[in-house]
Amino acid sequence: MSATTRSPLERRRGRIFAPFLAPALALYTALFIGPTLYSLYTSFTDWDGINSPQWAGTRNYSQLLNDPAFRSAFGNTLKIVFGVGAAIFVLSFGFMLMLREMRGRRVIRGVIFLPHIVSSVVLAIFWGVLLSLDGLLNQALDGIGIDPVEWLRPGWTMSAVLVALVWINTGYYVTILMAGVDRIPVSFYEAARLDGTNAWQRFRYVTLPLSWDVTAAAAVLWTITSVKIFEFILAFGGNQGALPPTYQWNNAMFVYGETVGGITPVNQFGYAAASAVTTLVFVAVLVIVLRRLMRREPLQF
Amino acid sequence: MTTTVATQPAEPRAPARTPRRRRLARVLARLPGTTAVWLFTGFCLFAFAFMLISSFKASRDILERPWSLPATPRFENWATAWNDGGFGPAFINSTVLVVTASAVTVVIAGPAAYVLGRRPGRLSNGLNLYFVLGLGIPVQVMVLPLYALMNSLELINSLFGLFVLYVVVSLPFTVFLLTSFFASLPAELEEAAALDGVSAAMTFWRIMLPLARGGLLTATLLNAMGIWNETLLALMFIQTNDKFTLPLALLNYFQQQQFTGADFGALFAGVSISILPMIGLYAWLGRRITEGITMGAGK
Repeated sequence: MSATTRSPLERRRGRIFAPFLAPALALYTALFIGPTLYSLYTSFTDWDGINSPQWAGTRNYSQLLNDPAFRSAFGNTLKIVFGVGAAIFVLSFGFMLMLREMRGRRVIRGVIFLPHIVSSVVLAIFWGVLLSLDGLLNQALDGIGIDPVEWLRPGWTMSAVLVALVWINTGYYVTILMAGVDRIPVSFYEAARLDGTNAWQRFRYVTLPLSWDVTAAAAVLWTITSVKIFEFILAFGGNQGALPPTYQWNNAMFVYGETVGGITPVNQFGYAAASAVTTLVFVAVLVIVLRRLMRREPLQF
Repeated sequence: MTTTVATQPAEPRAPARTPRRRRLARVLARLPGTTAVWLFTGFCLFAFAFMLISSFKASRDILERPWSLPATPRFENWATAWNDGGFGPAFINSTVLVVTASAVTVVIAGPAAYVLGRRPGRLSNGLNLYFVLGLGIPVQVMVLPLYALMNSLELINSLFGLFVLYVVVSLPFTVFLLTSFFASLPAELEEAAALDGVSAAMTFWRIMLPLARGGLLTATLLNAMGIWNETLLALMFIQTNDKFTLPLALLNYFQQQQFTGADFGALFAGVSISILPMIGLYAWLGRRITEGITMGAGK
């Protein structure tokens, strides 16, 4: 890095490198990466969040394995990541293909994006009003002579959450996929059409390969955002200040529930940290696998 | 023949010679899909219309005749929500947090993104990766030590404490977005400025920053929307009603109502107070928002 080989521009830039970077780097390291590492450490301790942590080895982790609440929370996290994720991507691809040739596509895109820009608490309130016993859906069914259905019976509430999550997120992923597909030149499709291809072949050999990188990025994005889903579950399932029943928890809810959440917080910070770290490892592995599986030669067009 | 095909206009259009019967068959084949898309769109539209309209209805009307329009619009729902429901102070708290935190985030992330995006090299790449790492770390991982830290700093139940946290959690995405934005700007102006003897800091301030206005606005918007709707951190770090943000006020009002018999009219007025600014922002600057989202995903 001798000064003689560098242009005046590079020299000048070098001078501002550290001062420009320092504030962001310091804040991020101290209050983002630091706490993450500390979480890693406390997951091996007994900790109430106030007194200093006591080393506990891997006990938190083995306890997690046998905790029915955590097992169901992790199961629900899997349902969200894979089940809801699959539904969103199938729907988004379908919508994208329909929207390409539909009238009013701009309006549709704008409207289905709406759930993404408002608080999940709002959507949970609406979802409750929609599905409650004397709610919107049952009143509509009543109008066509169908008896009210108890949509919110204990065995069904988690499914209600999953369906809602599909509804909330589909518009967002349609937007992302559409942006990828809109970059494909129309001439490709016309050439393919002249070659006598059908709609499926055009999707398989033009749309899919040329939007592959966007699809891969969207899959990674869903993975890392879906494990953070929390507000909707809390607002939809909880009532009167209490937490939702544990069979409706996911990992994010578990961390809140085992620490400061609820009417009588249990403050098991070390234990909750272990569950959070488990989530982090799960996400990391999944992202690595996804990137491996979806890696393709980048296509220039 | 093929060369003329390659330079077609941008709009897709059916070849003119397609027989009418085949076109009809295509429309019919697409009918189930088209219907599904419209049903989904209609449902989204209905959900938002229902919430906004219910804010003008009496509680009993919402429960007994949810599908009807209000006989006479009840503006008092909004007054109740704003004054007694705590949505007034919450609106102010949320607004203050959104404005300060999204502005400060860009002020801190902008310069960092500039040097990372404009100075290729191993160090920059490594640091870039270090920031991107933050995108993959769920908030619930870091929130527990943060709670202990804020507790020892007596920043629990403090809007300032929440402001700091919002800046921190917004940093990785903002640095990531702006780095790719700065990297896409042309180099000539910078070089010319350097030859003219303009300092690097001045070049950033006077030349590159104005060029990056679009990216800065997009980043600010996305952060603002994220902070406006953020719930987990607010829930963990804020305890008293006077410091509630809008999602907390909503949650609190919603859960209180389950105790005391609900005033759904006021609840939906509170809901509307929370969603209308976002809808307005989206209607006004929607293109920037979707652009930023797709830019983040495309890289």
